Amino acid sequence: MTQKSSVRQMIGFITDVTRWSLSGGIGYQLFLCLLVVFMMLGVFAYLVQWKLGLAVTHMSDIVSWGFYIANFTFLVGVAAAAVMLILPSYIFKDKDFHHVVIIGEVVAIGALVMSMTFVFVDLGRPLQGWHIIPIIGLFNWPSSLLTWDILVLNVYLVLNLSIPAYILYCHYNQVEPDPRKYRPFVFISIFWAFGIHLITAFLYEGLPARPFWNNPLMGPRFLASAFAAGPALITVLLVIIHNTTVFKIPKQTFNKLRLIIVISAIINLIMLFSEVFKEFYFPTHHSLSAEYLYFGLDGHNSLVPWIWTAISINIIGTLLLAFNPGKNKPMLLLPACILLFVGIWIEKGIGLIVPGLVPSPLGEVVSYAPSWVEISIALGILALGMFVVTMLLKPALIIEHRFKAEKPS
Amino acid sequence: MGFLKNKSGRQQITDEHRPCQDSGRREFLKKAVKAAAIGGTAVVTGCQAPGLLGSKEEFALQFQEYFKAHYRLMTEKERDTTITRLERLAKLQKNVDVQISSKEAMPGVLFGYGFNVTRCEGYMECVSACVRENNLDRKSNMQYIRIFEMEPGQMTPDAGQGKFFNEVPVDGRFYMGAQCNHCDNAPCIKACPTKATYREPDGIVVVDYDWCIGCRYCMAACPYYGRRFNWNEPVVPVKEITKKQHYLGNRQRRRGQMEKCTFCVQRTREGRLPACAEACPTGARIFGNLLDPKSEIRFVLENKKVFRWKEELGTDPKFWYFID
Amino acid sequence: MKTPKQKKYGLATVLGLMIILTGWNAFSEKGGVVQTIKNATSTFDNGSVESVPPVPEDTVLAQVRYQGGTFRVETRKDKVKRFQCSQCHNNQPVAIANAVETAHGDITLNHGDKVKQLACFTCHDKDNRDVLITEKGTKVDMDHSYQLCGQCHFRQKKDWIGGAHGKRVSWWAGERVVKNCASCHDPHAPRFEKRWPKTYSRPFTE
Repeated sequence: MTQKSSVRQMIGFITDVTRWSLSGGIGYQLFLCLLVVFMMLGVFAYLVQWKLGLAVTHMSDIVSWGFYIANFTFLVGVAAAAVMLILPSYIFKDKDFHHVVIIGEVVAIGALVMSMTFVFVDLGRPLQGWHIIPIIGLFNWPSSLLTWDILVLNVYLVLNLSIPAYILYCHYNQVEPDPRKYRPFVFISIFWAFGIHLITAFLYEGLPARPFWNNPLMGPRFLASAFAAGPALITVLLVIIHNTTVFKIPKQTFNKLRLIIVISAIINLIMLFSEVFKEFYFPTHHSLSAEYLYFGLDGHNSLVPWIWTAISINIIGTLLLAFNPGKNKPMLLLPACILLFVGIWIEKGIGLIVPGLVPSPLGEVVSYAPSWVEISIALGILALGMFVVTMLLKPALIIEHRFKAEKPS
Repeated sequence: MGFLKNKSGRQQITDEHRPCQDSGRREFLKKAVKAAAIGGTAVVTGCQAPGLLGSKEEFALQFQEYFKAHYRLMTEKERDTTITRLERLAKLQKNVDVQISSKEAMPGVLFGYGFNVTRCEGYMECVSACVRENNLDRKSNMQYIRIFEMEPGQMTPDAGQGKFFNEVPVDGRFYMGAQCNHCDNAPCIKACPTKATYREPDGIVVVDYDWCIGCRYCMAACPYYGRRFNWNEPVVPVKEITKKQHYLGNRQRRRGQMEKCTFCVQRTREGRLPACAEACPTGARIFGNLLDPKSEIRFVLENKKVFRWKEELGTDPKFWYFID
Repeated sequence: MKTPKQKKYGLATVLGLMIILTGWNAFSEKGGVVQTIKNATSTFDNGSVESVPPVPEDTVLAQVRYQGGTFRVETRKDKVKRFQCSQCHNNQPVAIANAVETAHGDITLNHGDKVKQLACFTCHDKDNRDVLITEKGTKVDMDHSYQLCGQCHFRQKKDWIGGAHGKRVSWWAGERVVKNCASCHDPHAPRFEKRWPKTYSRPFTE
């Protein structure tokens, strides 16, 4: 293969991918427009925040992290959960997962883009962002857990971009990808997936100032909840793909995903129970945060309805998935996955960040609810994530489909 | 072994040499910076419109400010340049002549603070003095110090009432203050991803405001509620600006920057007491050099029964509470 | 490529470095600030801080020693209205109408416990009004009233000399200058009055 032809191939690949990702039926176009509208809303809200400072959020010196960081934490979990598809398909050579693994990877990219954007909008001085870049700035590594997180998230993003890109490129050219070239990176990315979520947990776990977070169960529980919420999201996505495209997903895949979700969700609930037991069997001063979360403190009980909703739908979702009364019928499977996903989102987002900061170290209790700016920016970022996933997934599925159709393996 | 202990990694500048050298160089730099700013403007705008010069100069100065290094890594000359720029910016923006110092820590000094729980009567003079001295944001009513009204039977500020506003002292109650503890093993320093917050050789924990990116991880890491964030652009009435400033202390902060008590570095490095200790009408606040066996803070530590707040966290604060 | 021997040396170096670093870390963290304070035994030369101005005029060398050295207190005589007292209180009777009201009407005596209130001549010398007098009969200059207060408030006096009670004036460095007892306390009613605080803590409204 000459240099010239490979360049031409690359250009062809890129133009085709762009063409495929932008072309589609009227419904697809409308969907993209809707996403763009939401992104513009986010951009507008961010401009307001840019102009007036973070004062336009409802964060304060007490609740110094809010909706942004809550979503960041949750989405890192979703990104890490792609490993639940990668691990079986590449290591155990699972056929059912092998042809949906690309979807898991794309979801991971989307979640990573969203989580990093959430951190970015949370910065008070984003223009000074270059101060964390090693060499030209000062990178407080290995002391600061935040630098670890920046490091692992970026590397994970690169890994998750490059492995599928290589495989897709090969498939586009109707060539079988060389396992020697990508398998080492797959191994790394598997460890890395656990790494990103553990380190995100350590971000909180390493703060003795916040007893609600300073809890050794944090890391494992993050993993368990992520491995329930991530595959739940992927299941929903697979159902959508199954129903709207020619890319058909076999029933076996859904069943295996369901098992993964159920096991993780049960482990998550056991850990939740263990935490609740520790906080309420013999409540200490350090249990005030948990009390604030579950029952309210000094008349501040804005989180109480949320957390009980989260726990209820968590349990309902887990039971539905575990007993599977509809035998993998999407009519039941889909709501159960959505319930579980939303439940974990509340519990691990707002339900984790805000009580960690309230009561303040000086014992003061305040309420927190995101402002319209925070919600608009979050919606914008969500739209961005969905946009990224759509843009990547559509050409990826077309390439995979073509490859399979021509070379049935 | 001495060089290993000097955590700042910079050479100590002896105090005798500085003042005389300083003024000459400062004056020169002032002119140089002005010239550079005008030159920069010429590059940026292509031509010089005299009417717009002021705002263009401001833009050019801010442009240069954006690329400056971390304070600890600056050379002596770079420090002087940035200070001249900042002084000029204060003049341009608010028409005030501020003097920003870059005085280094004195050798043989480690600052410590004692708070006499028996003597504090809740007059809040310290809070007010601190706000004035440190040019704290009046818009969000930022305060570094909080005073708590305590019911008997408790001895930790988080159990007290921080929202009191009544005639003080109330019979049967006592008062306790809380502010940055200047931990020797500070969780905020460990947390900061950019090393914007660090411990100076005299033990104070400072923030290089211009290096801070505003991620607020330090805020989450602080067990004493010692840090404050500029959620909005800080507002200080021009008349009330304290003009004697320090780069690491009370100079003008910007939106999105973290700030905190610095033991009034602009005062204490000159030998003065912090504003809170000076303002306290009851003498409940003791400040001094921990390395000097004859200092008052050492007398307190040796002769009084002292305790530190949340000692179990291992943060090693340099802020002691004591009882008469 | 590296030979196995080189690899071994590399590994050993890395391990050795790790051990040294860990050891150094453990050693340097030991004891914390309390240990640092214990180790600091040499006096800091407070005079070396150049920015400290000379001591104010209205101070006087204290008659007690502070940690083996001297210190200064704020004077009182120049701050007392109508000092010298002997201008009126000389050997003749005071011949002005309403003299007590005019000169001392602002004094409310609230010192000592309720059963045994202090009287004027508990502290003021009957024979020489320019000075104070202790229970033992020692005359005390008004600038050194701490000597008188310290008869009863000996604990406070000890703390005041050491620095745990009272206040230094403005400077932690330089020569030690402290407030006198009567600089802060009204000797006739020494307890601080109740009043409204200067400001209030930032409210978190929600």
